[in-house]
Amino acid sequence: MSIENRECVVALDGVEKVFRDFWLRPTVKAVDGLSMQVGRGEVFGLLGPNGSGKSTTIKMILGLLAPTRGSVRLFGMSPKSVGARARIGYLPELSYLHPFLTARETLRYYAGLCGLGRREAADRVTQLLNMVGLADVASRPVGGFSKGMARRLSLAASLVGKPELLILDEPTSGLDPVSTKEVKTLVKSLASKGMTVLTTSHLLADAQDICDRIAILNRGKIVAEGRVAELGTSLEEFFLATVGDAESFELADFLKR
Amino acid sequence: MLVLVAALVMEVLAPAFHYHQFGEPTRMACDAGVSALFTCGMVFAVFPTIRAFRREVESGTLEMALAHPVSRGGFFLAKAAGSLVAYFAFAAIVFTTSLVTVAGADIGGRIAAKTGGVARLYGPCFAAALAVPVLSLVVGAALNRFARFRFVPSVFAIAAVLSAAGAVWFVVPTIAARMFGAAVPVAISATIPLAAAAAFSVRFKSNAAASACGIVVALMLPAFGNYVLSDALSGGGRVPWSYVSLVAAATVPAVAFFLVLGAWFAEGEGSR
Repeated sequence: MSIENRECVVALDGVEKVFRDFWLRPTVKAVDGLSMQVGRGEVFGLLGPNGSGKSTTIKMILGLLAPTRGSVRLFGMSPKSVGARARIGYLPELSYLHPFLTARETLRYYAGLCGLGRREAADRVTQLLNMVGLADVASRPVGGFSKGMARRLSLAASLVGKPELLILDEPTSGLDPVSTKEVKTLVKSLASKGMTVLTTSHLLADAQDICDRIAILNRGKIVAEGRVAELGTSLEEFFLATVGDAESFELADFLKR
Repeated sequence: MLVLVAALVMEVLAPAFHYHQFGEPTRMACDAGVSALFTCGMVFAVFPTIRAFRREVESGTLEMALAHPVSRGGFFLAKAAGSLVAYFAFAAIVFTTSLVTVAGADIGGRIAAKTGGVARLYGPCFAAALAVPVLSLVVGAALNRFARFRFVPSVFAIAAVLSAAGAVWFVVPTIAARMFGAAVPVAISATIPLAAAAAFSVRFKSNAAASACGIVVALMLPAFGNYVLSDALSGGGRVPWSYVSLVAAATVPAVAFFLVLGAWFAEGEGSR
């Protein structure tokens, strides 16, 4: 699936990731010959069941893992380069926060990592706390936050550096319907302002709500890819219609559940 | 908490030190202070450093930090520098506590000579020694309750200030100067296992990193003989600054080696 005339923000070409044990023996092939592109301004969804290789792919795009084979380019640069990472924001699957820091201190810490000056950081932190609705609890240690509040704070942390590309790993994972709606509204609002979003999910309704284009990953391979607006049907039916082989029936079965 | 307990034990025992002079008044207190710095220092250098690094890895906060525009090597070195600062703060608290203990032994000895026995000293000494941690805990709790200060850092800061105040008030300057010369090489030497702990904990899990640090400490054993400075201190002697410089000169390449190794580990992590 092409990205038409859009600038290519993320490009994966024949990417393979094999995890090894202490003695360097291969243990699992998490990603197998993955090729895909994400264009500027798109909201791209990487869908698939647990263990399909979504998070590994995301970590390779972030430069946290190196591919065994193939190449990953971020804004045309290596994902390990500081220049490329200065242009991205990342929301991990779980909210990894220092529990003893307050919400404001957490955002200041990440602002420092983004190289923001003291005054600029203070302004940005206040703006983000207001945006995610945590201004009232800015001085509370995040260890006492609910899952939804922690998720919103993590989202704010991913936006501190004013990223051009926002990478979301299961953004609504473990959230109640109200918090899920809040997070989706935030993501949609960012996307409407032109931000490129790459998100993973195993929740089809979430993906259908926010994505322009999706790719289905199963056992480390893309088994289906398409533009959500062109489906003419629900995402679930799209899978059933487009995915035909035995392996993918397993996936379709999973998706039905 | 380790510092507070150590301070309590040392200060309670202070009067008894007077009766174990080994050729010099307060010698045992001096030796105990430097030994505490050495043994507690090694422990404090290794375990909190491993914990600081592994907790970042295991809690996922490292992943979150490294997704920002920072180099892995730079992040590792910054964390190692933070561990070094924390270690030297710890060493300073232990050292000032030792000075108070030495002063206590000295004063205790003089009072015991007048009153004719050491037994009467234990009550006041125990009360005085207990006052430092209790006062620190109470004031720390009040600051937390009414001014929203962090509890643990507040308690440490108050304990440090009280110890330092005690050291300034009671300590005999000549003994302090001599102990400082003995303490500096000991404190410097512990930075080697600290840097090793930082480097190993990037690549290995906590137990493996601690074991590897144990090997580093074992390799340092032959050199530990040089840190037994009691003989140099006995009879009013001082550790020459040329010796302190020599220890620093020997330590710097080892620390640099482990920091470079750690930065290399950090840059390569994720490639496997």
